[in-house]
Amino acid sequence: MKKLLEISLGIVTSVGGFLEIGSIATAAQAGADFGFQLIWAVLLGGLCLIFLVEQAGRLAAVSGHTLTGAIRERFGFNYFIILFLVLNLVTLLVLSAELGGVCVALELSTGIAFQWWAVPVAVLVWLLIWKGTFGFIEKGVSVLGLVTISFIVAAIMMKPNWHSVASGAIPTLPAHDKSHYWFIAVSVLGASISPYLFFFYSSGAIEDHWTEDYIGVNRVIASTGMSFGSLISVAVLILGALVFPPRGLHADHYSQLALLLQDALGHWGFILFVMSLGIACLGAALEITLQVAYFAAQGFGWNWSENQPPKKEARFSLTYTVVILLGALIVLTGIDPLKITIMSMALTAATLPLSVVPFLILMNDRNYLEEYTNGWIANGVVIAIILLAFVLAVVSIPLQIVGGG
Amino acid sequence: MHLVRDCLDKQVVDREGHNMGRVDGIVIEVGGGRKPDVAAIQVGSACQGDRLHPFFGKLVRSISKRCGVVNHDPYRIPWTKIVCAEIEVIAGVEAEKTPALAWELWLRKNIIARFPLA
Repeated sequence: MKKLLEISLGIVTSVGGFLEIGSIATAAQAGADFGFQLIWAVLLGGLCLIFLVEQAGRLAAVSGHTLTGAIRERFGFNYFIILFLVLNLVTLLVLSAELGGVCVALELSTGIAFQWWAVPVAVLVWLLIWKGTFGFIEKGVSVLGLVTISFIVAAIMMKPNWHSVASGAIPTLPAHDKSHYWFIAVSVLGASISPYLFFFYSSGAIEDHWTEDYIGVNRVIASTGMSFGSLISVAVLILGALVFPPRGLHADHYSQLALLLQDALGHWGFILFVMSLGIACLGAALEITLQVAYFAAQGFGWNWSENQPPKKEARFSLTYTVVILLGALIVLTGIDPLKITIMSMALTAATLPLSVVPFLILMNDRNYLEEYTNGWIANGVVIAIILLAFVLAVVSIPLQIVGGG
Repeated sequence: MHLVRDCLDKQVVDREGHNMGRVDGIVIEVGGGRKPDVAAIQVGSACQGDRLHPFFGKLVRSISKRCGVVNHDPYRIPWTKIVCAEIEVIAGVEAEKTPALAWELWLRKNIIARFPLA
Protein backbone atom coordinates (compact mmCIF):
# COMPACT_ATOMS: atom_id res chain seq x y z
CA MET A 1 0.00 0.00 0.00
CA LYS A 2 2.86 2.34 0.92
CA LYS A 3 4.60 1.58 -2.38
CA LEU A 4 1.36 2.18 -4.32
CA LEU A 5 1.12 5.58 -2.70
CA GLU A 6 4.76 6.30 -3.53
CA ILE A 7 4.22 5.24 -7.15
CA SER A 8 1.14 7.49 -7.43
CA LEU A 9 2.97 10.42 -5.87
CA GLY A 10 6.01 9.77 -8.05
CA ILE A 11 3.90 9.74 -11.23
CA VAL A 12 2.06 12.91 -10.19
CA THR A 13 5.44 14.52 -9.47
CA SER A 14 6.85 13.47 -12.85
CA VAL A 15 3.79 14.64 -14.79
CA GLY A 16 3.33 17.89 -12.87
CA GLY A 17 7.03 18.66 -12.98
CA PHE A 18 7.63 17.68 -16.60
CA LEU A 19 6.83 20.89 -18.41
CA GLU A 20 9.11 23.92 -18.13
CA ILE A 21 10.00 26.90 -20.28
CA GLY A 22 12.30 24.77 -22.46
CA SER A 23 9.73 22.16 -23.39
CA ILE A 24 6.96 24.77 -23.83
CA ALA A 25 9.06 27.11 -26.00
CA THR A 26 10.72 24.47 -28.19
CA ALA A 27 7.53 22.48 -28.75
CA ALA A 28 5.53 25.65 -29.52
CA GLN A 29 8.17 26.85 -31.99
CA ALA A 30 8.41 23.40 -33.58
CA GLY A 31 4.65 23.42 -34.11
CA ALA A 32 4.56 27.01 -35.34
CA ASP A 33 7.31 26.53 -37.96
CA PHE A 34 6.88 22.91 -39.05
CA GLY A 35 3.34 21.83 -38.10
CA PHE A 36 3.22 18.32 -36.70
CA GLN A 37 6.44 17.33 -38.49
CA LEU A 38 8.64 17.42 -35.35
CA ILE A 39 6.45 15.30 -33.07
CA TRP A 40 9.03 12.54 -33.55
CA ALA A 41 11.66 14.69 -31.79
CA VAL A 42 9.44 15.16 -28.72
CA LEU A 43 8.70 11.43 -28.59
CA LEU A 44 12.37 10.49 -29.09
CA GLY A 45 13.43 12.90 -26.33
CA GLY A 46 10.75 11.48 -24.02
CA LEU A 47 11.86 7.90 -24.75
CA CYS A 48 15.48 8.74 -24.00
CA LEU A 49 14.51 10.53 -20.81
CA ILE A 50 12.54 7.48 -19.61
CA PHE A 51 15.65 5.32 -20.03
CA LEU A 52 18.02 7.85 -18.42
CA VAL A 53 15.79 8.63 -15.45
CA GLU A 54 15.13 4.95 -14.80
CA GLN A 55 18.89 4.31 -14.88
CA ALA A 56 19.67 7.22 -12.54
CA GLY A 57 17.11 5.89 -10.04
CA ARG A 58 18.43 2.32 -10.36
CA LEU A 59 22.02 3.44 -9.81
CA ALA A 60 21.05 5.29 -6.62
CA ALA A 61 18.79 2.52 -5.31
CA VAL A 62 21.31 -0.30 -5.85
CA SER A 63 24.65 1.40 -5.15
CA GLY A 64 23.65 4.10 -2.64
CA HIS A 65 25.54 6.61 -4.81
CA THR A 66 24.20 9.69 -6.48
CA LEU A 67 25.18 9.98 -10.13
CA THR A 68 27.54 12.89 -9.35
CA GLY A 69 29.22 11.00 -6.50
CA ALA A 70 29.69 7.91 -8.66
CA ILE A 71 31.17 9.95 -11.53
CA ARG A 72 33.68 11.61 -9.18
CA GLU A 73 34.61 8.24 -7.70
CA ARG A 74 34.88 6.32 -10.95
CA PHE A 75 36.39 8.98 -13.24
CA GLY A 76 38.44 11.04 -10.78
CA PHE A 77 38.64 14.68 -9.79
CA ASN A 78 39.88 16.11 -13.11
CA TYR A 79 36.99 14.70 -15.15
CA PHE A 80 34.57 15.76 -12.45
CA ILE A 81 35.78 19.36 -12.56
CA ILE A 82 35.43 19.56 -16.37
CA LEU A 83 31.90 18.19 -16.11
CA PHE A 84 31.18 20.53 -13.21
CA LEU A 85 32.20 23.62 -15.20
CA VAL A 86 30.60 22.75 -18.54
CA LEU A 87 27.38 21.32 -17.17
CA ASN A 88 26.83 24.08 -14.66
CA LEU A 89 27.51 26.85 -17.19
CA VAL A 90 24.81 25.44 -19.45
CA THR A 91 22.55 24.74 -16.47
CA LEU A 92 22.97 28.35 -15.33
CA LEU A 93 21.62 29.48 -18.70
CA VAL A 94 18.71 27.05 -18.32
CA LEU A 95 18.08 28.40 -14.81
CA SER A 96 17.96 31.99 -16.06
CA ALA A 97 15.50 30.82 -18.74
CA GLU A 98 13.29 29.26 -16.04
CA LEU A 99 13.49 32.32 -13.80
CA GLY A 100 12.70 34.35 -16.92
CA GLY A 101 9.70 32.10 -17.51
CA VAL A 102 8.27 32.91 -14.05
CA CYS A 103 8.95 36.61 -14.70
CA VAL A 104 7.20 36.43 -18.10
CA ALA A 105 4.16 34.80 -16.46
CA LEU A 106 4.09 37.71 -14.01
CA GLU A 107 4.50 40.23 -16.84
CA LEU A 108 1.61 38.66 -18.74
CA SER A 109 -0.64 38.88 -15.69
CA THR A 110 0.39 42.34 -14.45
CA GLY A 111 1.75 44.21 -17.48
CA ILE A 112 4.97 45.06 -15.60
CA ALA A 113 8.07 44.23 -17.70
CA PHE A 114 9.63 40.87 -16.86
CA GLN A 115 13.03 42.29 -15.80
CA TRP A 116 11.38 44.02 -12.83
CA TRP A 117 10.30 40.65 -11.51
CA ALA A 118 13.81 39.15 -11.55
CA VAL A 119 14.68 40.12 -7.98
CA PRO A 120 11.32 39.23 -6.33
CA VAL A 121 11.27 35.87 -8.15
CA ALA A 122 14.89 35.16 -7.15
CA VAL A 123 14.04 35.97 -3.52
CA LEU A 124 11.00 33.68 -3.68
CA VAL A 125 13.06 30.79 -5.09
CA TRP A 126 15.75 31.34 -2.47
CA LEU A 127 13.19 31.49 0.35
CA LEU A 128 11.47 28.29 -0.77
CA ILE A 129 14.79 26.44 -0.82
CA TRP A 130 16.10 28.05 2.37
CA LYS A 131 12.98 27.20 4.35
CA GLY A 132 11.53 24.23 2.45
CA THR A 133 12.23 20.52 2.64
CA PHE A 134 13.01 18.19 -0.25
CA GLY A 135 9.51 16.68 -0.14
CA PHE A 136 7.91 20.13 -0.28
CA ILE A 137 9.97 21.17 -3.30
CA GLU A 138 9.74 17.88 -5.13
CA LYS A 139 6.07 17.12 -4.56
CA GLY A 140 4.40 20.37 -3.52
CA VAL A 141 5.24 22.41 -6.59
CA SER A 142 4.81 19.45 -8.92
CA VAL A 143 1.26 18.81 -7.69
CA LEU A 144 0.44 22.43 -8.54
CA GLY A 145 2.10 21.76 -11.91
CA LEU A 146 -0.75 19.40 -12.80
CA VAL A 147 -2.43 22.56 -14.14
CA THR A 148 -0.27 21.93 -17.26
CA ILE A 149 -2.65 19.09 -18.17
CA SER A 150 -4.80 21.94 -19.54
CA PHE A 151 -2.55 21.78 -22.66
CA ILE A 152 -3.80 18.25 -23.35
CA VAL A 153 -7.41 19.31 -22.79
CA ALA A 154 -6.98 22.27 -25.14
CA ALA A 155 -5.27 20.16 -27.83
CA ILE A 156 -8.17 17.68 -27.81
CA MET A 157 -10.72 20.53 -27.92
CA MET A 158 -8.98 21.98 -31.00
CA LYS A 159 -9.88 18.77 -32.88
CA PRO A 160 -6.60 18.38 -34.83
CA ASN A 161 -6.37 15.99 -37.77
CA TRP A 162 -5.20 12.97 -35.78
CA HIS A 163 -3.95 11.23 -38.92
CA SER A 164 -1.55 14.14 -39.55
CA VAL A 165 -0.58 14.15 -35.87
CA ALA A 166 0.26 10.43 -36.04
CA SER A 167 2.31 10.88 -39.21
CA GLY A 168 4.41 13.48 -37.37
CA ALA A 169 5.72 10.65 -35.19
CA ILE A 170 7.75 9.40 -38.16
CA PRO A 171 10.81 11.56 -38.97
CA THR A 172 10.63 13.25 -42.36
CA LEU A 173 12.81 15.84 -44.09
CA PRO A 174 11.47 19.39 -44.23
CA ALA A 175 10.57 21.07 -47.50
CA HIS A 176 12.09 24.40 -46.38
CA ASP A 177 14.51 25.90 -43.80
CA LYS A 178 16.49 22.69 -43.29
CA SER A 179 19.03 24.19 -40.85
CA HIS A 180 16.26 25.76 -38.78
CA TYR A 181 14.38 22.46 -38.76
CA TRP A 182 17.36 20.55 -37.39
CA PHE A 183 18.17 23.32 -34.93
CA ILE A 184 14.63 23.15 -33.52
CA ALA A 185 14.82 19.33 -33.48
CA VAL A 186 18.04 19.59 -31.43
CA SER A 187 16.47 22.15 -29.09
CA VAL A 188 13.46 19.87 -28.56
CA LEU A 189 15.80 16.97 -27.74
CA GLY A 190 17.87 19.20 -25.45
CA ALA A 191 14.73 20.33 -23.62
CA SER A 192 13.66 16.73 -23.08
CA ILE A 193 17.03 15.28 -22.09
CA SER A 194 18.36 18.04 -19.80
CA PRO A 195 21.06 16.41 -17.63
CA TYR A 196 19.82 18.25 -14.55
CA LEU A 197 16.70 16.07 -14.72
CA PHE A 198 18.43 12.73 -14.25
CA PHE A 199 21.14 14.09 -11.93
CA PHE A 200 18.38 15.58 -9.77
CA TYR A 201 16.39 12.34 -9.90
CA SER A 202 19.35 10.36 -8.50
CA SER A 203 19.85 12.94 -5.72
CA GLY A 204 16.13 12.64 -4.94
CA ALA A 205 16.40 8.86 -4.71
CA ILE A 206 19.12 9.25 -2.05
CA GLU A 207 17.15 12.00 -0.23
CA ASP A 208 14.16 9.60 -0.17
CA HIS A 209 16.38 6.71 1.07
CA TRP A 210 15.71 4.37 -1.85
CA THR A 211 17.11 0.85 -1.65
CA GLU A 212 17.06 -2.15 -3.98
CA ASP A 213 13.41 -2.67 -3.00
CA TYR A 214 12.57 0.44 -5.02
CA ILE A 215 13.76 -0.83 -8.40
CA GLY A 216 10.19 -1.70 -9.44
CA VAL A 217 8.78 1.56 -8.08
CA ASN A 218 11.48 3.46 -9.96
CA ARG A 219 10.70 1.68 -13.23
CA VAL A 220 6.97 2.45 -13.02
CA ILE A 221 7.50 6.09 -12.04
CA ALA A 222 10.08 6.69 -14.79
CA SER A 223 8.13 5.04 -17.58
CA THR A 224 4.59 6.17 -16.71
CA GLY A 225 5.43 9.64 -15.40
CA MET A 226 7.74 10.59 -18.25
CA SER A 227 5.37 9.15 -20.88
CA PHE A 228 2.48 11.29 -19.63
CA GLY A 229 4.84 14.24 -19.37
CA SER A 230 5.91 13.79 -23.00
CA LEU A 231 2.24 13.76 -24.01
CA ILE A 232 1.89 17.26 -22.53
CA SER A 233 4.82 18.41 -24.70
CA VAL A 234 3.19 16.82 -27.76
CA ALA A 235 -0.02 18.71 -26.86
CA VAL A 236 1.95 21.99 -26.77
CA LEU A 237 3.38 21.20 -30.22
CA ILE A 238 -0.08 20.41 -31.59
CA LEU A 239 -1.42 23.70 -30.21
CA GLY A 240 1.57 25.56 -31.67
CA ALA A 241 0.84 24.03 -35.08
CA LEU A 242 -2.85 25.00 -34.93
CA VAL A 243 -2.63 28.43 -33.28
CA PHE A 244 0.38 30.24 -34.81
CA PRO A 245 0.44 29.57 -38.60
CA PRO A 246 -3.06 31.00 -39.28
CA ARG A 247 -1.93 34.24 -37.58
CA GLY A 248 1.39 34.30 -39.44
CA LEU A 249 3.30 34.01 -36.14
CA HIS A 250 6.43 31.95 -35.42
CA ALA A 251 6.28 31.76 -31.61
CA ASP A 252 9.49 33.76 -31.56
CA HIS A 253 8.45 36.13 -28.78
CA TYR A 254 7.29 35.03 -25.36
CA SER A 255 4.18 37.21 -25.45
CA GLN A 256 2.91 35.08 -28.36
CA LEU A 257 3.03 31.91 -26.26
CA ALA A 258 0.01 33.13 -24.28
CA LEU A 259 -2.11 32.43 -27.37
CA LEU A 260 -1.52 28.67 -27.05
CA LEU A 261 -4.59 27.97 -24.91
CA GLN A 262 -6.79 30.91 -25.88
CA ASP A 263 -8.38 29.51 -29.06
CA ALA A 264 -9.62 26.45 -27.19
CA LEU A 265 -10.35 27.86 -23.75
CA GLY A 266 -10.94 31.60 -24.28
CA HIS A 267 -10.08 33.93 -21.40
CA TRP A 268 -9.64 30.93 -19.09
CA GLY A 269 -7.03 29.74 -21.57
CA PHE A 270 -5.00 32.85 -20.90
CA ILE A 271 -5.30 32.41 -17.12
CA LEU A 272 -4.42 28.72 -17.31
CA PHE A 273 -1.43 29.48 -19.55
CA VAL A 274 -0.07 32.07 -17.14
CA MET A 275 -0.56 29.68 -14.20
CA SER A 276 1.03 26.79 -16.12
CA LEU A 277 4.02 28.84 -17.20
CA GLY A 278 4.57 30.37 -13.77
CA ILE A 279 4.23 27.16 -11.77
CA ALA A 280 6.11 24.95 -14.24
CA CYS A 281 9.04 27.37 -14.46
CA LEU A 282 9.09 27.93 -10.69
CA GLY A 283 9.26 24.17 -10.11
CA ALA A 284 12.04 23.80 -12.67
CA ALA A 285 13.97 26.78 -11.23
CA LEU A 286 13.84 25.19 -7.76
CA GLU A 287 15.05 21.84 -9.05
CA ILE A 288 17.83 23.32 -11.20
CA THR A 289 19.10 25.53 -8.38
CA LEU A 290 19.16 22.60 -5.99
CA GLN A 291 20.82 20.39 -8.59
CA VAL A 292 23.76 22.78 -9.05
CA ALA A 293 24.27 22.82 -5.27
CA TYR A 294 23.88 19.03 -5.10
CA PHE A 295 26.43 18.67 -7.90
CA ALA A 296 29.01 20.75 -6.06
CA ALA A 297 28.36 19.19 -2.65
CA GLN A 298 28.33 15.59 -3.86
CA GLY A 299 31.39 16.04 -6.05
CA PHE A 300 33.47 17.79 -3.39
CA GLY A 301 32.15 15.65 -0.53
CA TRP A 302 30.43 18.41 1.48
CA ASN A 303 27.41 18.03 3.71
CA TRP A 304 24.26 18.17 1.62
CA SER A 305 20.58 17.60 2.08
CA GLU A 306 17.66 19.89 1.45
CA ASN A 307 16.17 18.51 4.66
CA GLN A 308 18.87 19.99 6.92
CA PRO A 309 18.95 23.57 8.23
CA PRO A 310 21.15 25.83 6.03
CA LYS A 311 23.58 26.47 8.89
CA LYS A 312 24.42 22.78 9.05
CA GLU A 313 25.64 22.86 5.45
CA ALA A 314 27.06 26.30 4.80
CA ARG A 315 28.85 25.50 1.54
CA PHE A 316 25.74 23.84 0.06
CA SER A 317 23.51 26.78 1.10
CA LEU A 318 25.96 29.39 -0.16
CA THR A 319 26.23 27.59 -3.52
CA TYR A 320 22.50 27.73 -4.23
CA THR A 321 22.35 31.32 -3.02
CA VAL A 322 25.08 32.37 -5.48
CA VAL A 323 23.50 30.33 -8.28
CA ILE A 324 20.12 32.06 -7.85
CA LEU A 325 21.88 35.44 -7.80
CA LEU A 326 23.72 34.70 -11.07
CA GLY A 327 20.54 33.39 -12.73
CA ALA A 328 18.64 36.54 -11.70
CA LEU A 329 21.46 38.77 -13.02
CA ILE A 330 21.06 37.25 -16.49
CA VAL A 331 17.29 37.93 -16.37
CA LEU A 332 18.00 41.50 -15.26
CA THR A 333 19.95 42.16 -18.46
CA GLY A 334 16.61 42.04 -20.27
CA ILE A 335 17.64 39.45 -22.88
CA ASP A 336 14.51 37.77 -24.25
CA PRO A 337 14.03 34.64 -22.08
CA LEU A 338 12.74 32.78 -25.14
CA LYS A 339 16.03 33.31 -27.01
CA ILE A 340 18.04 32.17 -23.96
CA THR A 341 15.76 29.14 -23.72
CA ILE A 342 16.12 27.98 -27.32
CA MET A 343 19.90 28.50 -27.34
CA SER A 344 20.43 26.84 -23.95
CA MET A 345 18.42 23.79 -25.03
CA ALA A 346 20.60 23.37 -28.14
CA LEU A 347 23.76 23.77 -26.01
CA THR A 348 22.37 21.16 -23.62
CA ALA A 349 22.13 18.70 -26.51
CA ALA A 350 25.69 19.51 -27.60
CA THR A 351 27.09 18.79 -24.13
CA LEU A 352 25.06 15.61 -23.53
CA PRO A 353 27.83 13.09 -24.33
CA LEU A 354 29.99 14.60 -21.58
CA SER A 355 27.53 13.51 -18.91
CA VAL A 356 25.84 10.55 -20.55
CA VAL A 357 28.92 8.59 -21.67
CA PRO A 358 30.34 8.20 -18.11
CA PHE A 359 26.79 7.53 -16.92
CA LEU A 360 26.49 4.61 -19.34
CA ILE A 361 29.89 3.24 -18.29
CA LEU A 362 28.72 3.32 -14.67
CA MET A 363 25.46 1.59 -15.59
CA ASN A 364 27.50 -1.32 -16.95
CA ASP A 365 29.84 -1.54 -13.94
CA ARG A 366 29.07 -4.49 -11.66
CA ASN A 367 30.96 -2.82 -8.80
CA TYR A 368 28.05 -0.37 -8.61
CA LEU A 369 25.07 -2.19 -10.11
CA GLU A 370 25.80 -5.83 -9.20
CA GLU A 371 23.29 -7.91 -11.18
CA TYR A 372 21.27 -4.82 -12.14
CA THR A 373 23.57 -3.53 -14.90
CA ASN A 374 22.08 -2.29 -18.18
CA GLY A 375 20.89 -4.63 -20.89
CA TRP A 376 21.76 -4.06 -24.54
CA ILE A 377 18.40 -2.38 -25.29
CA ALA A 378 18.90 0.30 -22.60
CA ASN A 379 22.48 0.93 -23.77
CA GLY A 380 21.57 0.91 -27.46
CA VAL A 381 18.63 3.33 -27.18
CA VAL A 382 20.52 5.87 -25.09
CA ILE A 383 23.72 5.74 -27.19
CA ALA A 384 21.78 6.13 -30.43
CA ILE A 385 19.74 9.11 -29.25
CA ILE A 386 22.65 10.88 -27.62
CA LEU A 387 24.83 10.47 -30.71
CA LEU A 388 22.00 11.77 -32.85
CA ALA A 389 21.49 14.80 -30.59
CA PHE A 390 25.23 15.51 -30.48
CA VAL A 391 25.77 15.27 -34.23
CA LEU A 392 22.70 17.40 -34.95
CA ALA A 393 23.82 19.97 -32.39
CA VAL A 394 27.36 20.21 -33.76
CA VAL A 395 25.99 20.65 -37.28
CA SER A 396 22.97 22.82 -36.66
CA ILE A 397 24.15 25.31 -34.02
CA PRO A 398 26.74 26.92 -36.35
CA LEU A 399 24.22 26.80 -39.20
CA GLN A 400 21.63 28.52 -37.03
CA ILE A 401 24.08 31.21 -35.92
CA VAL A 402 25.38 31.83 -39.45
CA GLY A 403 21.97 31.55 -41.10
CA GLY A 404 20.15 33.41 -38.35
CA GLY A 405 17.33 30.82 -38.43
CA MET B 1 42.78 -3.55 -1.86
CA HIS B 2 43.18 -1.51 -5.04
CA LEU B 3 44.01 1.93 -3.64
CA VAL B 4 42.86 4.00 -6.61
CA ARG B 5 39.70 2.00 -7.30
CA ASP B 6 38.63 1.35 -3.70
CA CYS B 7 39.81 4.47 -1.89
CA LEU B 8 40.77 7.50 -4.02
CA ASP B 9 37.90 9.96 -4.63
CA LYS B 10 35.55 8.15 -2.25
CA GLN B 11 33.37 10.08 0.18
CA VAL B 12 35.02 10.47 3.60
CA VAL B 13 32.76 10.44 6.66
CA ASP B 14 33.71 10.82 10.30
CA ARG B 15 32.89 8.34 13.04
CA GLU B 16 29.38 9.88 13.37
CA GLY B 17 28.72 9.55 9.62
CA HIS B 18 29.11 13.28 8.85
CA ASN B 19 30.58 14.13 5.44
CA MET B 20 34.05 15.63 5.66
CA GLY B 21 35.21 15.64 2.03
CA ARG B 22 36.49 13.12 -0.45
CA VAL B 23 39.75 11.21 -0.57
CA ASP B 24 41.61 13.82 -2.61
CA GLY B 25 45.03 12.25 -2.19
CA ILE B 26 46.83 9.23 -0.77
CA VAL B 27 50.20 9.61 0.98
CA ILE B 28 52.64 6.77 0.41
CA GLU B 29 55.93 6.57 2.30
CA VAL B 30 58.93 5.13 0.52
CA GLY B 31 62.57 4.68 1.49
CA GLY B 32 64.60 3.16 4.27
CA GLY B 33 64.82 -0.09 2.32
CA ARG B 34 61.21 -0.86 3.24
CA LYS B 35 58.29 -1.59 0.95
CA PRO B 36 56.15 1.47 0.08
CA ASP B 37 53.65 2.01 2.85
CA VAL B 38 50.33 3.87 2.84
CA ALA B 39 50.70 6.57 5.51
CA ALA B 40 47.57 8.72 5.22
CA ILE B 41 44.78 10.05 3.06
CA GLN B 42 44.52 13.74 2.17
CA VAL B 43 41.35 15.81 2.21
CA GLY B 44 40.96 19.42 1.16
CA SER B 45 40.70 21.99 -1.58
CA ALA B 46 44.48 22.54 -1.85
CA CYS B 47 44.97 18.89 -2.68
CA GLN B 48 42.19 19.12 -5.28
CA GLY B 49 43.94 22.16 -6.77
CA ASP B 50 47.25 20.26 -6.88
CA ARG B 51 45.58 17.45 -8.80
CA LEU B 52 44.52 19.89 -11.51
CA HIS B 53 47.84 21.79 -11.64
CA PRO B 54 50.26 23.01 -8.94
CA PHE B 55 49.21 26.58 -9.85
CA PHE B 56 45.68 25.93 -8.60
CA GLY B 57 47.00 24.29 -5.44
CA LYS B 58 49.08 27.40 -4.68
CA LEU B 59 46.13 29.64 -5.49
CA VAL B 60 43.86 27.78 -3.06
CA ARG B 61 46.52 27.91 -0.31
CA SER B 62 46.99 31.62 -0.78
CA ILE B 63 43.22 32.33 -0.67
CA SER B 64 42.87 30.18 2.44
CA LYS B 65 45.74 32.03 4.10
CA ARG B 66 44.35 35.46 3.25
CA CYS B 67 40.95 34.55 4.66
CA GLY B 68 42.60 33.09 7.74
CA VAL B 69 40.65 29.92 7.17
CA VAL B 70 43.06 27.05 7.54
CA ASN B 71 46.71 26.25 7.99
CA HIS B 72 46.55 22.49 7.52
CA ASP B 73 45.28 22.23 3.97
CA PRO B 74 45.42 19.49 2.79
CA TYR B 75 44.48 17.76 5.99
CA ARG B 76 46.09 14.36 6.44
CA ILE B 77 44.24 11.56 8.21
CA PRO B 78 46.56 8.73 9.30
CA TRP B 79 45.87 5.44 7.53
CA THR B 80 45.55 3.71 10.90
CA LYS B 81 42.33 5.68 11.49
CA ILE B 82 40.82 4.74 8.12
CA VAL B 83 38.34 2.01 7.25
CA CYS B 84 37.42 1.63 3.57
CA ALA B 85 33.76 0.58 3.52
CA GLU B 86 31.65 -0.22 0.46
CA ILE B 87 30.25 3.24 -0.24
CA GLU B 88 32.45 5.52 1.84
CA VAL B 89 35.74 5.81 3.69
CA ILE B 90 35.23 6.05 7.43
CA ALA B 91 37.73 8.14 9.39
CA GLY B 92 37.99 7.59 13.13
CA VAL B 93 37.89 11.32 13.92
CA GLU B 94 35.33 14.01 14.75
CA ALA B 95 34.91 16.08 11.57
CA GLU B 96 34.17 19.46 13.17
CA LYS B 97 37.33 19.28 15.26
CA THR B 98 39.54 18.74 12.21
CA PRO B 99 40.79 21.22 9.59
CA ALA B 100 38.78 19.29 6.97
CA LEU B 101 35.73 21.40 7.83
CA ALA B 102 37.59 24.69 8.27
CA TRP B 103 35.96 26.32 5.23
CA GLU B 104 32.54 24.98 6.20
CA LEU B 105 32.84 26.48 9.70
CA TRP B 106 34.29 29.77 8.40
CA LEU B 107 31.42 30.21 5.92
CA ARG B 108 28.88 29.23 8.57
CA LYS B 109 30.20 31.82 11.02
CA ASN B 110 31.07 34.68 8.66
CA ILE B 111 28.44 34.44 5.93
CA ILE B 112 25.50 32.08 6.45
CA ALA B 113 24.89 33.15 10.07
CA ARG B 114 24.53 36.75 8.85
CA PHE B 115 21.82 35.95 6.30
CA PRO B 116 18.29 37.05 7.11
CA LEU B 117 16.27 34.10 8.50
CA ALA B 118 19.50 32.30 9.41
